[in-house]
Amino acid sequence: GQRKQDVSFSEGAAVSCAHLPAPVVVGLLVRFKAAAVKECIRAVLKEKLADVQYVPEEIPQLTKSLSEIIKDRLKEEGFERYKMVVQVVIGEQRGEGVNMAARCFWDADTDSYAHDVFMNDSLFCVVAAFGCFYY
Amino acid sequence: MVEASPVPQHRPGRRSRAGLGGAAAAGTAAARVVAMEDFHPHNDEMIFNADEAHNIVKECIESVLGKADYNHNKVNQWTAAIVEQSLTHLVKLGKTYKYIVTCAVMQRSGAGLHTASSCFWDTTTDGTCTVRWENRTMNCIVNVFAVAIIL
Repeated sequence: GQRKQDVSFSEGAAVSCAHLPAPVVVGLLVRFKAAAVKECIRAVLKEKLADVQYVPEEIPQLTKSLSEIIKDRLKEEGFERYKMVVQVVIGEQRGEGVNMAARCFWDADTDSYAHDVFMNDSLFCVVAAFGCFYY
Repeated sequence: MVEASPVPQHRPGRRSRAGLGGAAAAGTAAARVVAMEDFHPHNDEMIFNADEAHNIVKECIESVLGKADYNHNKVNQWTAAIVEQSLTHLVKLGKTYKYIVTCAVMQRSGAGLHTASSCFWDTTTDGTCTVRWENRTMNCIVNVFAVAIIL
């Protein structure tokens, strides 16, 4: 049988650049909620990757379309004042180790991120979505 | 040119960088009026310099991974070190950008890895840069996303 893949994603401390003046009343904005975004990502991955096998010719297109689908879904969620970055990584399941890390330099009061990992017997998929408030 | 500190001060896209620093320190009403005007860099002057970021990141990867072989116990430290160093150097450029740096390190065993990203931002000011690096035993991909701060 195949060994379980070791996929870990560690998020580094978000450094605050809160020295910038913030003329906008931050309390009223719809925040980039990590929980809601993670649910959205999970739903898309479950829907699109359920029975997919790793086929080298098809995966580049799939990776690209997944990132666009997730970005469009997040736009519909209504994060109006947010610029968003969605990153999708798909790899073959062969039991070797993968490690991903991210660090962000942003305003920790307003900006946030969410990630999710999907695995089946043939592939693994890591999605990270970052949201940066624009003032 | 004013020395960039780890926390970004406002830098106008063009003139009087030293003047802005001085005005902020002085904090008089008249000086602040001048400073406020300078807080709106024009979009055409704020462009993400991908080449600069590429060089910075490449150096960071070399310094961390250099001659190492894939080691499951150390890979956590390595990815953390790469993103931290890259981020620190990018911030030292002193531009009014928010940065997101991601790094993936993978053992070279013939398996395929694909990454894609989709961004919803201002294409005139924001940008991205990807650096791929490999040695005999591992692959490393670093992505830098830079989001401009416009006030």
